[in-house]
Amino acid sequence: MVLTAARRGHLVTAALLLPALLFLAVCFVVPMAVLFKLSVTAEEGPLSAYGEILGNWVYLRVFWNTLVVAVVVTAISVVLAYPTAHLLTRLKGWALTLAVYGVLFPLWISVLIRTFSWILLLEKNGPVNRVLVGAGLVDGPVQFLFNNTGVLIGMVHVLLPYAILPIYANMLRIDLRLLLASDGLAASPWMTFRRVYLPLTMPGVGAGAVFVFLLSLGFFITPALLGGISNLTVAMLIELMVNERLVWSLAAAASFLLLAAIAALLALATRFVPLGAVLEAR
Amino acid sequence: MLTRRRLIATAGAAAGVAGTAALGVRPARAQGRPFTFVSWGGALSATEKEAFMDPASKKLGFPIANTSPTAYAKIKAMVEAKAVEWDLVDVGGRFIFQGRNQGLLEEIDYKIVDASKLDKGWVTPHGVFTSIGATVIAWNTKAFPEGKGPKSWKDFWNVKDFPGARGLYNVLYYNYEAALLAAGLKRSEIYPATDEKVKQAIAKCRELKPHVKVWWTAGAQPPQLLSSGELAMSSAWSGRILDAKKESTAVDMTYKDGIAWGNAYVVPKGTPHKDKAMQVINYAISEEAQLRLLPLGTYGPVLGSAAAKADPYQGRKLVMHPDNIKDMLIINEEQAALYSTKHEEAWKKFQLG
Repeated sequence: MVLTAARRGHLVTAALLLPALLFLAVCFVVPMAVLFKLSVTAEEGPLSAYGEILGNWVYLRVFWNTLVVAVVVTAISVVLAYPTAHLLTRLKGWALTLAVYGVLFPLWISVLIRTFSWILLLEKNGPVNRVLVGAGLVDGPVQFLFNNTGVLIGMVHVLLPYAILPIYANMLRIDLRLLLASDGLAASPWMTFRRVYLPLTMPGVGAGAVFVFLLSLGFFITPALLGGISNLTVAMLIELMVNERLVWSLAAAASFLLLAAIAALLALATRFVPLGAVLEAR
Repeated sequence: MLTRRRLIATAGAAAGVAGTAALGVRPARAQGRPFTFVSWGGALSATEKEAFMDPASKKLGFPIANTSPTAYAKIKAMVEAKAVEWDLVDVGGRFIFQGRNQGLLEEIDYKIVDASKLDKGWVTPHGVFTSIGATVIAWNTKAFPEGKGPKSWKDFWNVKDFPGARGLYNVLYYNYEAALLAAGLKRSEIYPATDEKVKQAIAKCRELKPHVKVWWTAGAQPPQLLSSGELAMSSAWSGRILDAKKESTAVDMTYKDGIAWGNAYVVPKGTPHKDKAMQVINYAISEEAQLRLLPLGTYGPVLGSAAAKADPYQGRKLVMHPDNIKDMLIINEEQAALYSTKHEEAWKKFQLG
């Protein structure tokens, strides 16, 4: 039998995909299946671990807290990232290099170290408070740490690059002549921004928001060190179940519930932001 | 409690288990590797290597690999996958009972381990304590100068005469004991931990909650937060404060009303080096090994006869020194394991609101 060109094309595609598929199967699908099995093999019956979490006010409250923090962090990150990304598109030469390093450099430092650095900077007698008090801007030291403020500062700092980069990549590809055309048709700068530039950047904003949101759901070092006693996240609960309480079926069930919540939220999000466009923005 | 490294270790262990289970492979790697001792890292690991492991290796004639940090999840993963890579592990006392209940630990072979000279409280069927520390009251010396520091958990709870921000550990463990002592219970009344007493302890914590600025999670936090002045007073591990005092005069502590606990050695079930592990434990609690803890000045000997040989300067730093231990509570780890699990939810509720 002679291979037609189309058939050969399919084979090549399959061969190219094979390594990635194998990798995913061995390193993702199989462990997920094992983890799922673990979640339904609690001593008290197959679904008892899920029941214990869903029937417990404490766990549900922590899930809710985690989602709220993720939403707020995402909103702040995108609002800060948008003008930053725009500025990046306007810079050239050494200024651009410097700015890009400024965005990327934090990614190369361990989250643990950055979190401890925030403690040193923001503590009661730390440099930030000394400047604020010294300049007479505040009467006494501001309590930045061990509350929601600390958690938000720490998490936004870690996650900001994940919002900036997709938005920046998106903005770079916008044909600037469209803005000129809008201007030529007598639109005000605000109108041009709102009706032309903003809609064109939305896929980037969507991609950045999805990245930040997903990553922030898994945080536990930052809230553990910068937050107060009530800043509990699902990841902290899972860590406790795995390492301290050694109740792994419960930990597995909590992981799957978090996964389910994320899947549901993403499905909901695709109704407003087309996920295909988000991926193309990369 | 929380470190990134530990999370990675855990994830690795979990992935390892998942992988071996999925492929149906039973690795038999254990035979070819050296005897491996695992501890928490930092000052404690350094102390144990110098005082126990290096001399034991010389004396017993086999090499000992020292590694860190201890991770309970990894012990569980190794034992359940029948691929034990750790032969002797330094754990918190609570884990002796938690690990026993989950079938993760070998019984200590008291034909090899001679524990006859140890205080009975430090000897259990599945683990032996080898060095002693305590959860103590520590403070910033600018907030409370020499002689003006707190002397009891009652003082710790007394924000009128001892004003300033407080720090406490962020789990029920240790806070249960501290709160009940602050509530006026005698040391002999702390255990057994009834539901009623746990309730009382949490209510007492709720009373102090508005003044507790930091609920710390890692032993490194209290010395840092106290010396920077962020906190006026905090509970802390004695070894961390003694270590910090070597470099800074801004922190001080008292053993009065302290809660004494030990670092325990356990042997994961299924290790190919079980007898060697027993020999190393036996060496670690010998007077020769225990005496080496004295000049290191962080965690003290568990052996009373070794603690008694401390010079006056060393003695002041030792939990087991008669002048110190007489004013302290020795934690009951079996009870602590019980109340920590049973009242986990009540504590989380307290955390949330």
